[in-house]
Amino acid sequence: MTQAHQAQREWLQALLQGAPAAAGPEWLARMHAAARERLEQLPPIDRKQEAWRYTGIDTLLAERFVPPPHREADLAPEERAPLEGLETWRLVFVDGRFQPHLSALEGLPEGVIVGDLRSRETHRDNLLATSVAQASGHHAHLFTALNEALADEGAFIQVPAGTRLERPIEIVHRVTDASAPWLITPRNLVLLGERAEATLIERFSGRPGTRYFHDGLTDLVLGRAARLVHYRIQDESREAWHLSSLRLDQAAESRYEGCTFAFGARWSRTEQNTVFEARGAECHLAGVYLVGEGQLCDFHLDVRHEVPECRSSERYKGVLFGKGRAVFDGRILVAKDAQRTDAHLSNNNLMLVRDAEVDTKPQLEIYADDVQCSHGTSVGQLDPQQVFYLRSRGLPEVEARRLLCLGFASDLLEAVHDEALRHHVESRIRQTLVLEGG
Amino acid sequence: MGSTQDTVDDLIKAGYEHGFVINIEQDTIPPGLDEDIIRRISAKKGEPEWMLEYRLKAYRHWLTMEPPRWAHLGLPEIDFQAISYYSAPKRRGEGPKSLDEVDPELIEAYNKLGIPLEEQKALAGVAVDAVLDSVSVATTFREKLAEAGVIFCSMSEAIREYPELVQKYLGSVVPHTDNYFACLNAAVFSDGTFVYIPEGVKCPMELSTYFRINEARTGQFERTLIVAEAGSQVSYLEGCTAPMRDENQLHAAVVELVAMEDAYIKYSTVQNWYPGDEQGRGGILNFVTKRGLCKGARSRISWTQVETGSAITWKYPSCILKGDDSVGEFYSVAVTRGRQQADTGTKMIHIGRNTRSTIVSKGISAGHGQNTYRGLVRMAARAENARNHSQCDSLLIGDKCGAHTFPYIEVRNPTAQVEHEATTSKLSEDQLFYCRSRGLSEEDAVSMLVNGFCKEVFQELPMEFAVEAQKLLNLTLEGAVG
Repeated sequence: MTQAHQAQREWLQALLQGAPAAAGPEWLARMHAAARERLEQLPPIDRKQEAWRYTGIDTLLAERFVPPPHREADLAPEERAPLEGLETWRLVFVDGRFQPHLSALEGLPEGVIVGDLRSRETHRDNLLATSVAQASGHHAHLFTALNEALADEGAFIQVPAGTRLERPIEIVHRVTDASAPWLITPRNLVLLGERAEATLIERFSGRPGTRYFHDGLTDLVLGRAARLVHYRIQDESREAWHLSSLRLDQAAESRYEGCTFAFGARWSRTEQNTVFEARGAECHLAGVYLVGEGQLCDFHLDVRHEVPECRSSERYKGVLFGKGRAVFDGRILVAKDAQRTDAHLSNNNLMLVRDAEVDTKPQLEIYADDVQCSHGTSVGQLDPQQVFYLRSRGLPEVEARRLLCLGFASDLLEAVHDEALRHHVESRIRQTLVLEGG
Repeated sequence: MGSTQDTVDDLIKAGYEHGFVINIEQDTIPPGLDEDIIRRISAKKGEPEWMLEYRLKAYRHWLTMEPPRWAHLGLPEIDFQAISYYSAPKRRGEGPKSLDEVDPELIEAYNKLGIPLEEQKALAGVAVDAVLDSVSVATTFREKLAEAGVIFCSMSEAIREYPELVQKYLGSVVPHTDNYFACLNAAVFSDGTFVYIPEGVKCPMELSTYFRINEARTGQFERTLIVAEAGSQVSYLEGCTAPMRDENQLHAAVVELVAMEDAYIKYSTVQNWYPGDEQGRGGILNFVTKRGLCKGARSRISWTQVETGSAITWKYPSCILKGDDSVGEFYSVAVTRGRQQADTGTKMIHIGRNTRSTIVSKGISAGHGQNTYRGLVRMAARAENARNHSQCDSLLIGDKCGAHTFPYIEVRNPTAQVEHEATTSKLSEDQLFYCRSRGLSEEDAVSMLVNGFCKEVFQELPMEFAVEAQKLLNLTLEGAVG
């Protein structure tokens, strides 16, 4: 074992020892125990591993994180306010802990459950079944195991068969306490019954100066012909580390549409894993990321077509406006029997400054012949002629550049169906490019 | 080990026409690998002390290395102790001084392969260096080249005759520490080709090396070094074949190219090592490290490869674009059928300003073949206005094969522009139907469509090679459709 690996072990040991024994129900203790065992067996994370080739974790390991205490917290009025024009059912977590008094869950349709993982003990079997089934999955690594070894909270959402939700469900994660580096480990579970339809919005943010590691693990289970639209806005504190690992389980003819907007965190990584095991399912992943000074933003996507007639797409666009690094690793695998697959993958990057870096790796792995598959990537800068054109029409350079960046991302923004949300994201992009893009 | 006309005919039917064994007495070192073997190889070649030191240094480093596992290949375990690292046709006395003294059996064998060694009959304008197993057996047109100041000889000879050039450049592009197979090559390489084009000289004819593995249980470890001084130009061709055998044979070569200011090196390969039979028995394991350094400004290196043979191909001809305005090109057709596996592609490392690179890769998979493109495009922070375009297309014939694309793109300069496109599809039924309705047989139709698919690459090959490559492709795909 090398010194680096030894340090990693010690870091984990310290975290696990620092965590109080779970006071929760028995199934939770079982999940913790199983995950601790897995932690022992999993190999250490290393830049030599393909999945971590471009994403170092040294800064993470240098920090001594502690789990946040269970306590009621409050938010300032402006933090509490919902997005303008957006009406949702809300689950609010402050400093990693669920806050029922800040959440808004009135008027949910019959049979729909939205709440914290622990407060819904009746559904523990679902969680357990899923988490155990997935545990041996391909993408388990130290951080997902760490999540399960410590998680005692998280969002639990269940929409029964045939129910179509009129309003989006919103999960808000806000960190306010800058007194210690927190380790936040939400374990989320979203279950959609047959033909159920829902929209889910996740927002992650932290007050300036807060330092924490958000190590989230989410299972999304879609029943036959269910539809889920999933927006994620990662706007963490610039001193935070953020990892979201999402695992998608889709029944026949179900459709998942996910879009992530990443602005914040010094180090962030989003993992999205889908395996198609039933015909006619669709999975569309998209994302827009802005990378500024000192930031690392990483997307790792893996879509596996194991059966015929599924469709998938991955469309990601990034703007690097500061000395940061963007990492994109997308894979489409089409197994031997997955004929008539339709899969497309694209990643485009705009690099506006010197000393930034883009590492992109779009991969196709295809074992069937009757398929439509393609991928494309590009890295470039703004077209000086376009900037000149806008300037000749009287726009200041900054505004011209900002407009072109928005134009670059516009096709993905337009895919956001909810108008209020789209406005919010657009203005965040504008803001970010004004404040820091220069 | 006789090769009668009948067996040759059988082999042609089996789809590999170069599967015969040359019946010639060979001088072979017994299998095994240790420092003594390396000393013996070096002694047999009468090498100077510095060369032996270089080999031993590489060998000691190799012992600390692990074979690479990252490629998308099912690799058999290779027993490095079961391989013989040196095998050469027995020399008569001092070795041939001119072609007249070369064993007529050898000349006959090369004629059979379509490589005439006798100069008067040779294709006008192509000089050939023929390498059999571990050594170069003949080099043609040497005098004519010498007039132009071009050095074209075997590596062993270069080590003796031009030690300062070899010492200066050997390992300068591919150091012995580079990778497992390159390191092994540095320790045990037996021969290869050395080319030196002096300043301002345009090489008067195409240069070519023909590699042939003959002896059983041997490995071929050749080393090629091409140095093009400022303003010079050279086009170099390489072809390879091997007899059909049930066991795998190892081929681990290293090719280094150095291009100075305004120099242009064009390197073309038609690789047709024995691919193994339909069940995947036997065949050549082809692990090759090829790398070119565009050292001077405005230099240009172009790789063109047609890979139809080998059981396993692991090969990434690369360009390091160090000089400002230098150009790197990679054109590749890789075909896998039967149980063949290929993991091939390129690396374009842009360091200088205004450097440009083009990658065109066409992968064709048939039968149970697995074909992988793996490529890296890196734009270093100083690579102002660097430009790359990559195009990777895969064609699948049949539903048991696989086509994979793993591009790596790393950009550290905002003025650099990188584009990568890839598609995967099967042979279009509409196009096939159209051709057939015009009276073409199914096989002709497939061959026409596949040749069309590869056209962008074939047109980069020198004319004689392009014809051979097309023929080879047709032969390789015969019976793959239906």
